[in-house]
Amino acid sequence: MGCFFSKKSKRKPSESDERTTTVDTAATGNAASLGNSGGGEEPRQYSWDKREKVDPKDYMLTGLKDVTVGRLPGKLGGQQFVIQDCENCDIYVFDHSAAVTIDDCVNCRVVLGPAKGSVFFRDCRDVKCVVACQQFRTRDCKKMEVFLCCATQPIIESSTGMRFGCFQYFYPELAFHFKDAGLSVFNNNWSNVHDFTPVSGETNWSLLPEASAVLESVPPPGPESEFKSVRISADAERSIVPLTTGGRRKASEESCLFVFFAGEYSTANARKLIDEASAKGFVLIQTKEVSMRPEDVKRVFQNSAESLVECVTNGPVIALELSGDGVVEACRSIADEVFSGTKVFVSDNKNTSSRDVDSFFNFADMQMGL
Amino acid sequence: MRNTVLQSRAGAATHVTPTPAPLVTLGGVSRREGNKMGLLSILRKLKSTPDQEVRILLLGLDNGGKTTLLKQLASEDISHITPTQGFNIKSVQSQGFKLNVWDIGGQRKIRPYWRNYFENTDVLIYVIDSADRKRFEETGQELAELLDEEKLSGVPVLIFANKQDLLTAAPASEIAEGLNLHTIRDRMWQIQSCSALTGEGIQEGMNWVCKSVNSKKK
Repeated sequence: MGCFFSKKSKRKPSESDERTTTVDTAATGNAASLGNSGGGEEPRQYSWDKREKVDPKDYMLTGLKDVTVGRLPGKLGGQQFVIQDCENCDIYVFDHSAAVTIDDCVNCRVVLGPAKGSVFFRDCRDVKCVVACQQFRTRDCKKMEVFLCCATQPIIESSTGMRFGCFQYFYPELAFHFKDAGLSVFNNNWSNVHDFTPVSGETNWSLLPEASAVLESVPPPGPESEFKSVRISADAERSIVPLTTGGRRKASEESCLFVFFAGEYSTANARKLIDEASAKGFVLIQTKEVSMRPEDVKRVFQNSAESLVECVTNGPVIALELSGDGVVEACRSIADEVFSGTKVFVSDNKNTSSRDVDSFFNFADMQMGL
Repeated sequence: MRNTVLQSRAGAATHVTPTPAPLVTLGGVSRREGNKMGLLSILRKLKSTPDQEVRILLLGLDNGGKTTLLKQLASEDISHITPTQGFNIKSVQSQGFKLNVWDIGGQRKIRPYWRNYFENTDVLIYVIDSADRKRFEETGQELAELLDEEKLSGVPVLIFANKQDLLTAAPASEIAEGLNLHTIRDRMWQIQSCSALTGEGIQEGMNWVCKSVNSKKK
């Protein structure tokens, strides 16, 4: 494997060993713990010692050119995936993963099913991708388009020409894969990117135009490929992740907070609200799925809090911010007509609604460590 | 505030909302029966030292799992962790004794700031993503530079070979060999396999940390 130390390391082995190295070797022969200070713990069998041994290469795509590759639904099953040194490839990972690294890839199109941990691009160029993950990271990348669903703030480092849009994708198993990866489709920070290496006078990243056609950037699998059986769609209405405008400039000053309290149908209800509101021309700014305690309810909803306090114990709430002239009135009538039997919160009037929005989403940001 | 490079996000343990520990079985013992590796239990083990304050520094490359480790130690939710922009700190106090654990962001651009945290460190915990083979050389280099630092001379170092739950993870023995750990002469060291996500191996590592702090302060 080679020496990991840098060449300028001054350390040289001395002639006599002053400290002995004790090795605790588990039954498999792999030392789980080594040290020089009088022995570690008893040898243990951890879950990684007990699991079936696999060839790491089965979870890596390396050195491919001009091909279509990836994983069909059910063929990755939440494991780690590694992509490296690929050129002009179409890569489809239609399954959930533990974490993904993508290194030294050029001119590729990549779809990554939901990752429980991080997706990390390094030294990539001209890559267009659809990604869902808990953390999104890049380093030394150039010219990328990313249609993103990220549970935390995306970060870039030493990267330029990075463009971001909202995740917009569907395939039949995708909703399950989000659940398997522990990701909520309502927690998407795609548009607020942190740059570790900002350059004054320039911006290393920007937002893609709202009507970006995902399939032009990341084409669907061709009819000849093994992935043709996966019925994908990039239609806005079918996207498993609701499309939010995020940091883009709002067309209207009026906004409304709409909150669903946990029940069997809160996800479906939220989707229904989005459909109803979109049909009337209103815009979805942001969404959040977050747990609330009774004391949070009092602080966030103030006057309306009393009737809502007992609703938060069933599970997380789903909150949406909608925008447009007349949106508060429209949301209140939708609540009456469509959700009359459901426990919801809707902003009272357009004078206080932006305070509702700030109050809730500031709470949610604090809660989620953003 | 968000744009400053070093942002203080203090999380004193007294304000931590306890979340039920995940039910992970280690050698047949349910972890819920007392969070043995938690910060408070570490503090109790350290109370034999004459000093009032113990300082642990968590370093390593970005994406290594330092913050997940810190949140595990504090029994907090680890399903939703954001890349660290400045640093995180957890503090626990008990009967006049204080334990501070500092988790510093590891992006290449902000590693020069690591030296701001060296002073008075009692133990260095260096976290490695065992499944990121592409960056083994880089992490070896950073560790080597740390061990050459004057302000960290003699400070015991625990290397967590983290992310053992991932399929391409290299075992600790392989990492130890590649890092030439056996050539470390000037301090106590230990490498420990772990998964900050599942919690396995953490207790063993932290037990060594306590031993190393207590033996140095005798």
